[in-house]
Amino acid sequence: MPERNIPQKTLEAWKQIAAYLERSERTVRRWEATEGLPVHRREHEKQDTVFAFRHEIEAWNRLRTKCPAEISVDEAENLLPVKPTTNAYLVEHDAITHTMHRYIAAARAGDGDLMRPAFHPSATISGYCQGVEYTGSVEHVFKWITGNGPAPNITPRFARIEIIESIAIVHLEVERWSGKLAGANARASDVFTLLKWNGEWKITHKLFHWHDR
Amino acid sequence: MANDEYLTDYDQIVNTMQMYIDGSKQGRSELMRPAFHADASFFGYAGDQLAIGTPFLFDWIDKNGPADKIQPRMVSVDILKSIAVVRLDVGGWSGKLAGSDVYMSDLFTLLKTPSGWKIIQKAFHWHS
Repeated sequence: MPERNIPQKTLEAWKQIAAYLERSERTVRRWEATEGLPVHRREHEKQDTVFAFRHEIEAWNRLRTKCPAEISVDEAENLLPVKPTTNAYLVEHDAITHTMHRYIAAARAGDGDLMRPAFHPSATISGYCQGVEYTGSVEHVFKWITGNGPAPNITPRFARIEIIESIAIVHLEVERWSGKLAGANARASDVFTLLKWNGEWKITHKLFHWHDR
Repeated sequence: MANDEYLTDYDQIVNTMQMYIDGSKQGRSELMRPAFHADASFFGYAGDQLAIGTPFLFDWIDKNGPADKIQPRMVSVDILKSIAVVRLDVGGWSGKLAGSDVYMSDLFTLLKTPSGWKIIQKAFHWHS
């Protein structure tokens, strides 16, 4: 078995693959099935074993950060299978999470222009980072995201989604921010206000708390 | 005066919200202006029209005049370090622009600044 001679280049079994990607085994198995995560198998008498090459996993990770459509699902959304619904409230809820996933995918990819469609044209931002207040046009956000570059490991959690007919509040907890501006393993708490505008939910304000360490 | 950090923040937020309520009740925007951040924004539909910007809000409050029967209810106050969300439901709105017995739901986001908790955005839904 030549793989055994170069253990530093392979990840053995789902456990190591999951640990390398900092996700659960369940998630990486799903990624293999739905998103083309490159996993190999060795045939054995009873049950196949799986392994992966690090360079292949890294190449896959780089590619997927450039294509937000393929990273639409995260851990928080994976709790229940998402099915199309006809319930009026859930339709709005799903439309809001759809808008938020656009934001999350663009943040992962490090491409501010990708998140532009999630925002109302007059949207604003405010909050403090390292004691400095950042208040103003949402253009600041787009510039920051692009300047920060890819943040492939960000882990978002939906802490609250509250809808009052034409307006809504989303509290998003984002862990494992990384990048040129974010640094490593940073955490942000974001509160988004959304407005239903021309039939689509748009973010009108992003309020953030950056957890300084 | 509460000496617990959370309660201190809570009380200051409620004081800020009270300025908004007093201004609404008396139809005097100057009473609520200090509650707002200089760069605050304002969003919501007045009928079919999308209203944007705090100048619209302050102008509306002044033109609407007194609404002394408003019944404000603090539905939620959520504080997260330097930011907060307040949901305020107000029944019994009246006045020259509001009409009578109108019900509004407001989502306020607030920022903790060196000069206290300030409203950074008000989003409203006018219940038909």
